[in-house]
Amino acid sequence: MPKYLKICLLSVCLMLTVGLLSACGSSEAEESSGTWQTFRTRGAHETIRILSGSENQELASILEQCASETKVDIEIEYKGSLDIMRELQQGAEDYDAVWPASSLWISMGDTGYLVKHAESVSMTPVVFGIRDSLAEELGFKGRDVSVNEILEAIRSGRMSFCMTSATQSNSGASAYIGFLYALMGKQDSMTEEDLDNEELKQEITELLSGIERSSGSSDWLKDMFLNGDYDAMVNYECLMISANQQLEAEGKETLYAVYPYDGLSIADSPFGYVDHGDSGKEEAFLKVQEYLLSDEAQNAIQRTGRRTGYEGVKEENLDVFRSDWGIDTERILSPIVMPSSEVLLKALNLYQTEFKKPSLNVYCLDFSGSMIGEGNRQLVEAMQQILDQDYARQNLLQANQGEVNVVITFSDEINNIYVVNDSTDENLLELYETVASEDCTGGTDIYDAALTGLQMIEEDYDASQYTPAIILMTDGRSNGGMEYSDFAEAYQDYGSDIPVFSIMFGDAREDQLEELANLTNARVFDGREDLIGAFRSVKGYN
Amino acid sequence: MKSRALGIILLAVVILASGGYYLYSSQSRVTVLDGYLGGEKIGLFEDEEAAEILRREYHLEFQYSRAGSLDMVTADQTGMDYLFPSSQTALAYYEDEKGQPVQDEIIFNTPIVLYTHQLVLDALMREGIVEEEEGAYYADMVKLTDLIMADTSWADLGVPELYGKVSVDTTDPAKSNSGNMFAALLANVLNGGETVDETTVENVIPKLQEIFARLGYMETSSSDLFNQFLRMGVGAKPMIAGYESQLLEFAVENPEDYEQMKDDLVMIYPSPTVWSTHVYIALDEAGRAGAEALLDRDIQKLAWEKHGFRTSTYGAASQSFEGIIEEMAPEVTRVMQVPDYPVMRRIIDSL
Repeated sequence: MPKYLKICLLSVCLMLTVGLLSACGSSEAEESSGTWQTFRTRGAHETIRILSGSENQELASILEQCASETKVDIEIEYKGSLDIMRELQQGAEDYDAVWPASSLWISMGDTGYLVKHAESVSMTPVVFGIRDSLAEELGFKGRDVSVNEILEAIRSGRMSFCMTSATQSNSGASAYIGFLYALMGKQDSMTEEDLDNEELKQEITELLSGIERSSGSSDWLKDMFLNGDYDAMVNYECLMISANQQLEAEGKETLYAVYPYDGLSIADSPFGYVDHGDSGKEEAFLKVQEYLLSDEAQNAIQRTGRRTGYEGVKEENLDVFRSDWGIDTERILSPIVMPSSEVLLKALNLYQTEFKKPSLNVYCLDFSGSMIGEGNRQLVEAMQQILDQDYARQNLLQANQGEVNVVITFSDEINNIYVVNDSTDENLLELYETVASEDCTGGTDIYDAALTGLQMIEEDYDASQYTPAIILMTDGRSNGGMEYSDFAEAYQDYGSDIPVFSIMFGDAREDQLEELANLTNARVFDGREDLIGAFRSVKGYN
Repeated sequence: MKSRALGIILLAVVILASGGYYLYSSQSRVTVLDGYLGGEKIGLFEDEEAAEILRREYHLEFQYSRAGSLDMVTADQTGMDYLFPSSQTALAYYEDEKGQPVQDEIIFNTPIVLYTHQLVLDALMREGIVEEEEGAYYADMVKLTDLIMADTSWADLGVPELYGKVSVDTTDPAKSNSGNMFAALLANVLNGGETVDETTVENVIPKLQEIFARLGYMETSSSDLFNQFLRMGVGAKPMIAGYESQLLEFAVENPEDYEQMKDDLVMIYPSPTVWSTHVYIALDEAGRAGAEALLDRDIQKLAWEKHGFRTSTYGAASQSFEGIIEEMAPEVTRVMQVPDYPVMRRIIDSL
């Protein structure tokens, strides 16, 4: 290269550097909805879209800093790890990177060899977080506890617990597999035959009946736990730490971490690039990854209660990993052997169809006049995904044994109530067809419909034998005869803990739906962008 | 004055333009090769020094998708110029499935080793399964296999801190090479130390199946398995099978981390072990150029010094890793033959 050229190029480089420096501004985080976060920074040339497990929602401030340091805009969508696996199997067209809770789901999902550069960002074990006084009472503090001892506490009715859905979320799947091993008394990998054992089926069903509430994702489980009044939750050590920080700040009783030695698993949080052939994205991904693995970011991540680096938790961060909460950073974590993919999928199918508590779903569907056209079309399509078992099976959302499905169609009054107590493929398909053929007309009264559903669950069924939920789907604002207070009063009279989930679209009043969600410790899902996805998320809760 | 200034500007324009052309033309001559690569070689393919040599001397750039050595043979090869698996078995598998490739070339080798932690090493040495010779550790494969077959738990070996039974975690032998090679090694050991052939393979298959069925879910990439071994601690992966090159590369790329971990991390040579032979397979004419480039003296030197692959010219420990990795064997001599392809095929199909 001629010498002149070198000088010229050098000055061009300098100018570019100055330009970049002057463009350095603060980055900002925008939250578009509960399942999306966007971190933008001034001067960014590239955006990467990440599909991530919900547990990483807690890393928001680190990602914000990351965007600002790397000059890469980050868009991150949160889903359960099993949904991430399914998305990968379908090519993950909309994403440049995946970040599930465990590398297992990348291995199982990456059938098209798209994932590159996957590296573990942090580790966290799945633990039982038990109310401190109950852990004391059960004698679980300061010693090794087996899954079977925990099961005994559940069987005897001394403890109930919350965990995520094993077919949607990694923490739920890991815990469930841990339960199976403990019940089998096995230390090496389980086989398909092991799963056919009748005694095992009975025991696991009994155990899962102790689940008070479920959720589609680990971070949402933590939120639900904090808003409710429950004994214990199965969740990541890091989320238990964060729950405890909040509980302590509110002056409430904290949780004690129990690491069952015969049913433990570790989430290794791999962050991998999804290769769609865009080298600009690849470079941007590598910058983001390099930042996340830098000493600075790794330390910040460790401060959130995640284990990072090769050498364990640093002394200066032990104030986060508190031993009085049962957190033990010294113990050797021996996780269970994950079964082979065929066995694992069989186990998950059995969870969905046979082992978990039967669902009691009450769908309150808006058939008011404003739904005519597109609204109704989407609603019917979403119901097909759930009720037509050929579709439901593809997403592990099929009906389970003993499941009850109720559909209440409403406008400003109750139009029809359909009850399917025997949820066979045929019966559910018939239910779908009936719903699909109904016409839309009239105004909207969401409280009347929700209350009708609540009365049915509380009076016609033994709710403790089911995972019950009211799923309200509406595009309107309630303008009927009933008001929020009517519903709230009845809810309190029943002493009910039935969640009322809402899926809104069109110009539904979010405040009305949020009010119901807060009262019943549930959530509102935005169906405006992806109605079917919203339905699937709701199903994860029961 | 004016014309002089103009002249300078003109000169600058010409220089910039010709420089631009020079950059443009030198870049446009680079041929990009796409292919499937075994995970353990990504370090080399991402090495900027290597990339620079390939670009400068051969006008080549390697793009890759990561895939297991056996998996890549049957994967969709549309638009791919090469495969770079880690064994002769993968090549034979290719020939069996697709016929003679455009070209195949052995690029380098690395032996299969065991990785474990000090805690486990101590127990294995107490049991007389592992012995030290001139700083390197050797595992008696017959004794180790007996231990595994006897359902021995870690607690039985005096390591109650570890839950479960003694096992060696590997990658999926039906998909990835390191697991496949380890299965070959176990097959030979179960066959009384003789390389398994078509008449003896049926005798060992039931035992192999038993050993591998216990492992449950197996990673499909050697690099993932090794990373998990490093990060998750002794409880998660007490002992794994991998390539010698993996530790060498890790130590060179992460000297500080290795310094802190080396008292705990242990590399053990199975006795006997098997060589993993990394074969480059050209799928089309463009791919041919890749073989020549990878055999370049400087690339081969880098492959050894920074990534730990033993080559024909480089690969005696004294040449670079002495003092870095204390338990490295200067030469790997106790080696068995990998069974022939039809036998390996039978083993793969049975697992």
